[in-house]
Amino acid sequence: MNKQDNMAKRHELIGELSRNIVESAVDIVKVDGNTPPVEESHNQVKERLSFESSILLNELVTKLAPATTVEDVKKKRMFERFGKNFRSQHMLMFISVIILIITGMPLKFPEFAISKFIVIDLFGGLENSTLIHRVGAVGLIIVGVWHLGYIMFSRVGRRDFFLMIPRPQDIKDFMHTIQYYLGKRTSGPKFGRFSFIEKFDYWAVYWGMVIMIGSGAIMWWKEFFPKYLFDIGREAHSDEGLLATLAIVIWHFYNVHFNPEVFPMSWVWWHGQLTEAEMKHHHPLEYDEIMKKESRQIIEQAEGGSGKEAAS
Amino acid sequence: MRKIFILLLLWLVAGSGFALEKCQICHSKQQIHKQEETGRKVPLFVDEGILDRSVHRGKECTDCHVDIVEIPHQNVKKVNCRRCHYSGNPVGAPDGQLYDQYEHSVHGVAVVNGNEKAPVCQDCHGAHDIINHDSTDSKFYWQNIPNTCGTCHIEEYAQYKESIHGVAVSEGNQDSPVCTDCHGEHNIQKPTTEQSRVSAIRVTETCSECHGPLGVVNKYGVKTDRTSTYEHSFHGVAQKMDNKTVANCASCHGYHDIRPQDDPKSSVNAANIPETCGKEGCHPGATAQFATGQIHIDPKSEESGIIYYISKFFLILTVSTLIGLFIFIILDLFRRAKNARDRRSRL
Repeated sequence: MNKQDNMAKRHELIGELSRNIVESAVDIVKVDGNTPPVEESHNQVKERLSFESSILLNELVTKLAPATTVEDVKKKRMFERFGKNFRSQHMLMFISVIILIITGMPLKFPEFAISKFIVIDLFGGLENSTLIHRVGAVGLIIVGVWHLGYIMFSRVGRRDFFLMIPRPQDIKDFMHTIQYYLGKRTSGPKFGRFSFIEKFDYWAVYWGMVIMIGSGAIMWWKEFFPKYLFDIGREAHSDEGLLATLAIVIWHFYNVHFNPEVFPMSWVWWHGQLTEAEMKHHHPLEYDEIMKKESRQIIEQAEGGSGKEAAS
Repeated sequence: MRKIFILLLLWLVAGSGFALEKCQICHSKQQIHKQEETGRKVPLFVDEGILDRSVHRGKECTDCHVDIVEIPHQNVKKVNCRRCHYSGNPVGAPDGQLYDQYEHSVHGVAVVNGNEKAPVCQDCHGAHDIINHDSTDSKFYWQNIPNTCGTCHIEEYAQYKESIHGVAVSEGNQDSPVCTDCHGEHNIQKPTTEQSRVSAIRVTETCSECHGPLGVVNKYGVKTDRTSTYEHSFHGVAQKMDNKTVANCASCHGYHDIRPQDDPKSSVNAANIPETCGKEGCHPGATAQFATGQIHIDPKSEESGIIYYISKFFLILTVSTLIGLFIFIILDLFRRAKNARDRRSRL
């Protein structure tokens, strides 16, 4: 309302100013018979002045406005990528996995000096390091159960789980990405909330959790199993442990640490937020959906509001 | 004093060449003996025939029995071999390094600590009958070593005699170990100390001399992957991590009483495995199903059955996954570099 008042006032002032200019000009300048009528000149001057004043105003606003601060940037629209619940799962998971790798790898490579250093000097013997390995294992099992509960009983968890299910589009996106990498396409595919890369990571963890927890449990409670099951468990645990470690160190670390876009680290695991630009770049389909949904909501609200007014 | 003088005179007159004959005047009599205060009869007969075959033939009695200066002899002490067997001795006796080892061995230490039953040189090597170990009647002929040690270690000898190693030795198999092959000779240490060749830490190494990759047992169709598979097992890994309570070769197979697997008395016979695994301090309560399956497993060998295939499966899975991810990363980096170049050229 205030803004509109100002606009009207400005318009009025410009109008008055231009009329004065034209009228005084008519007095001073002797004109021939074929001079345009006053009204026409007045309109031309008014247009010109209005244009000039707009530019001047624009310049003033830009020059006098305070610089953008960190607070302003923070106030920018952010999109929640991972909720608190999901972030906590990830934190417990990586703490557990780091513990498991540090105490597990030396037993796969016992001949390395560093392995002996870790087990004997750092942890003070095999009894301690295997106990700590079991602490990490409990952490991982808790994450597994927690996540299953999350995808069943939390609304966001349920939604995300369904979005995680692979579909034919993922194969198309994969082919598209390879073509883009090879220079056959000018841009990469547009992803929704979860790209095929994220789906691969997610289901790889599922596979890893089943193998590691299953085989680990057999070894933990070996008294209840025949020895050949123990041996199968040990082989699978050892091999999958190495595969998981390499996948984390090479693939996951590339995506969240060493990738030039995020180096040295993407902080999404901590705050869970994406900026509007990041959303548009990495998850354009999801962004479109959010925008559509919001505009629908605004329309509905407006309609609902007017309906209410009419009703009252 | 007078006696000594006379004896010395006799000594000089008779000359050293006649010494042996002179001693044999008495000591060639089979029934000659001395009676100790405890009532024990100690024979003093010296068989000249044996003496002639000894490595010390040609030496005088008094070369060793240096404290015999009168007849009847008083306070005769045990012969000290160290008189000749030291480094750089002038008579050319084999040098004293082994003697040094003996002094630090379990036997030598026990002697120093006053254990009268502990062996000195002659208890093992013999006294007048030190015969070269190539002769079958030498106390150190390879096949006789168990008997020699068994003089004191009777129980161990009885167990060893029936073990696979003991039987093979008595059958004349020179590749089979006698006591000293595992325990060492002059440097024998208590098995509970780490320096011992049969200590929990070192016994695997000792067994692998024959049962390892270059082992002699290959000749007899016995597998030589026993130590490598042990090292791969959790027991082997734990041992590498300095764990002292974990099972080593001897924990399961026994030591003096090692028997082949098909012997019903063997600790690794299928029927006895639950009991062996379930030993106090190992896996008490181990049942028969706990012991079903192979023990020495090599995932790289097809004989390991399902373990081999699981290992292969994961190898293929790991290599292909990592190659795929690696290619993806490289392509991603290349594309990023290209995009950056394009942006720069547009500016």
